Amino acid sequence: MAMSRFVYVTYIRATPEKLWRALIEPEFTRQYWVGTIQESEWKKGASWKMIAPDGRLTDSGEIIEIEPYKRLVFSWRNEFQPAVKAEGYSRCTYDLEETHGVVKLTVTHEMDIEDAQLIVGVSSGWPYILATLKSLLETGKAFEGSDKFPEGI
Amino acid sequence: MPAEMTPDTIYITYINTTPEKVWEALTSAAFTTQYFFGMRIESDWRPGSPWVLYAPNGKRTVHGTVIDADRPRRLKVIWAVDGLAEPLPDCDVTYDIEPMGVVVKLTMTEHHPAPLDPKWLEGGRQGWPKILSGLKTLLETGKPLPMPKAPG
Repeated sequence: MAMSRFVYVTYIRATPEKLWRALIEPEFTRQYWVGTIQESEWKKGASWKMIAPDGRLTDSGEIIEIEPYKRLVFSWRNEFQPAVKAEGYSRCTYDLEETHGVVKLTVTHEMDIEDAQLIVGVSSGWPYILATLKSLLETGKAFEGSDKFPEGI
Repeated sequence: MPAEMTPDTIYITYINTTPEKVWEALTSAAFTTQYFFGMRIESDWRPGSPWVLYAPNGKRTVHGTVIDADRPRRLKVIWAVDGLAEPLPDCDVTYDIEPMGVVVKLTMTEHHPAPLDPKWLEGGRQGWPKILSGLKTLLETGKPLPMPKAPG
C-alpha cells in the first residue's frame, strides 16, 4: 500500500459518460478545473499533461490503465514546483460506479514515499475541484471563479 | 500505522449557498429527511441539550448531547449509535461552516477521543460521502439526490 494516500468519494447526478467527459475534456475542465486543460490520447501508455491557461505545463504523466466510463489510472508528477517535482511520480485513479442514476466517483491519489508534499497539496485541492465539478454537472454552472487559475502560482 | 491508532475521519465539501442555509439543512428535519437516509433530526440545538436522529420507521438511530452550537459557524455533538450489539466507542462529530468567497466550505470531522479498532470507522467512511453529497445537491438544486434510504 502507498505510503501517502488521499481518497475522496463523491456522488454526482449524471451518467458515467458525462462525468467521464467532464473529467478529461477541455470544454468541461476549463469551466471548473481552475481554467486548466488536459492533453492525452487517452490510451494505455500515452502521455498525459495538464496545462495552465497561460500555456505552462503544470503536471505530467502517463496513462497506466484506461477503461472508458469506469476507470482511469495515470501517473502524475508536478512540473512547476521544483521541490514537489523532485518527489517524482504519484498515481491517480478515478473509479466510476453507477447506481440509481447517480455516479459514485472515487478519486485515489497516492505515492510510494512518506509524507509526500504532492499528496498534501492535492488533498486540499481535490475537494474543491470535485465540488465545483458536481455543481457544473448538476446545475449547469461551476462555482464562480473556478475557471480562473490562482494568481501567483 | 498500528491497528489501535486511527485518525479522525474528515470530509470537506463546498456548497454554492449561504452558511445559514447549511446550518438549517444540518439541523432541521425538513431537510434531513431528504438527504440523511430519510432520517428526521430533532433538538433545540442549545449546548447541553439532547439531539436525536430517527429512522423513517420512528426508531431512534443516533443520539447524543449538543456540545457546541455557534449558529451558523460550528456545531459539535456527541454521536452515539443505537441498536448496535456492541456500543460504538466514544465519538463526537463537528461541522465547521466557513464562507469561502462565493461558496461555503463545510468540514465534517468525526473524532474518536480514544484509540479504537478501525472497523468502527467504516460506517462513517461509507456514509458521510453519501450524506454530504446529498446535502450539497439538495441545497444547490432544491431536489434530493436519489439514494438508498439506508446506510451501507
